[in-house]
Order: sequence, then C-alpha cells, then structure tokens
Amino acid sequence: MTRRRLVVIGIVGAVVAVIALRYFVWLDLGGRCIIGLRPSLVGYDNTTIKRALATLHRGSPEDYRKVCDHVAWINPNPSCGGFGGGCFWHSEGNRGRASVDISTEHGLIWTVAILVHETCHAIQYHQGRPPQFDLEHECYGEDDRILRALVQFE
Amino acid sequence: MKRWAIIAVIALVLLWGWLRAFAWFDPVRLCRIHIDVELLEGDRAPIREAIALVRREDPLAYHALCRWVDRIQEERQCDAGDPQADPRLRGQSAFASGALDAALSRAREAPGCYVRGSRIIVLRRAPEGGGGPALVRARADALKRLAGYSRAFWSEGTR
Repeated sequence: MTRRRLVVIGIVGAVVAVIALRYFVWLDLGGRCIIGLRPSLVGYDNTTIKRALATLHRGSPEDYRKVCDHVAWINPNPSCGGFGGGCFWHSEGNRGRASVDISTEHGLIWTVAILVHETCHAIQYHQGRPPQFDLEHECYGEDDRILRALVQFE
Repeated sequence: MKRWAIIAVIALVLLWGWLRAFAWFDPVRLCRIHIDVELLEGDRAPIREAIALVRREDPLAYHALCRWVDRIQEERQCDAGDPQADPRLRGQSAFASGALDAALSRAREAPGCYVRGSRIIVLRRAPEGGGGPALVRARADALKRLAGYSRAFWSEGTR
C-alpha cells in the first residue's frame, strides 16, 4: 500500500469518525455514559437529542444518571407518540439497557421531557412492574417534574 | 501569489457568510449566538433586531448574553410543566382557559424562557400578525432577563 493511499484512508476514516461522534453517539467518558443515536430522517434531530442530554447532564444530574443507566439507544422518531411524543416498547430486547423512541418535533424543552418520560417507562419495565400498573400516570408526573425544575420563565 | 490571494478572499467571504447565516454574529465583541427558527416559516430578522436593541441600550446585559448564551431557539411556547400530568386533562390537545394551573399558563404566555443546565434561551414564536416593534421590545426585555438566569446558573451555582 502506498503512502498516499494510507493518507487518503486515514483522512476518510477521520471524517467518518467525526461524523459518527457528532451525530450517532452520546459519549460522556467522565460520566461513564455511552448512548447510541439511531440515524434520523432529518439529521438535526440527533443534535437536538444531544442538546437535551447535555441539558439534563448539567441541569438534573440525577435524571441524567437514570437515562445513562436504563437507555442504550435513542431513536429520533418524529412520528412516535402521535407526532410529538415518544415510545417505549415492552419487548425482550429492552430487558437490558433499552431503546427508546423520542420525537424532537417540539424543540428542546419537550425533547428533555420526553426523554425523562420514556426513561421512566424503561425503569418501570426493568423493575418488572405488573402490566395493570398505571404506567403512564407516574411517567407524566416525571416529565412534569423535570419541566417545572428546568424551565425558568419569570 | 495572486491566485492564493483570491482563494483566501473567497474563503473569508464564505466563512463570514457561514458565521452570519444562521446566527447573530458580532466580530468586534467576539459574539456569536446561533439562532434556530422553524425551517419554513421562521424568521431570524426580528430576533436579530431584539439582540441589536439589547446591545444598544444595555451593554452589561449584552455582555451577559454573549458570554452565557450560545443558542436562541424559537419554539411554539414555553412549557413549564406537562398538562397531561393532570388526569383531568390527559388526552386533550387544546385546553379551556383556566384549565391549566397558573404557572403553566404564565409560562405559555411568556415571551421566552431559559432552560436550566443549558446555554439556550427559548423565545416564543410570534403569534400570527403579532410582529413589529412591540415584539422586538418584548423579546429584548426577555433576552436581558433570561441571559441573567443563564449567568446565575453557570457562574453562581444557582442549581
């Protein structure tokens, strides 16, 4: 392999790595938190999710820790939860750190709230809550709490 | 030599355009704040006017804005709580006046809000036909106040 070819491969590899880190991974080595972000139809969705994670990281470290402990993948799915919500699937694949669907359609504030809401469902699932348990009420309470804690308007 | 000069000028123009296109950019004060608006119907101009007004009339607030805010986002409204948490309101998309608790209503009417833990200010999207000097004034006042919240969060540990 010629030196020139090595340089080209190195540059291409670096570009791919930068794009992957920017759009497809939340990497917080200090906080021991790695979360994969699935590709989105509209690329900026992933940066909104990263901004939401960064906001939680600083604004509510306890909630951030819960996300890191219970969520492995975030799918920025605009249509989930009736265009503007999120989804958590009760499937075998989500027994470990789960995958959650998050819509970013309504901006940063709701993305933070939906992230906390779906993480709450992941926690419920990991705790083995019975199916008849009122799963939604608790999680609406969680996203309401985080909105009241973080949004400062007066 | 001449060719390189032309390339450098083109690169500078492109860089200048890129820095300005989606942001407030003030090279003299080393201030750049990204501005996010709705892709199709959003307009950055009134937000730029509001920032310019802050710069003209309150240098200290402008300094705080540049130092502690890196992004201004225009969103539908500020939500300081989730109405769905109230079982009476769950499943509804529109709410009768008085149905929401007072804090939520005030937040939705506010011109903007600060999201703690970020350097982001959210400005409420202008209502239909609600632009003009009054909107610029309301936003400038909001920017001054909300930049102060960001400064308090990051510098004073008001967490």
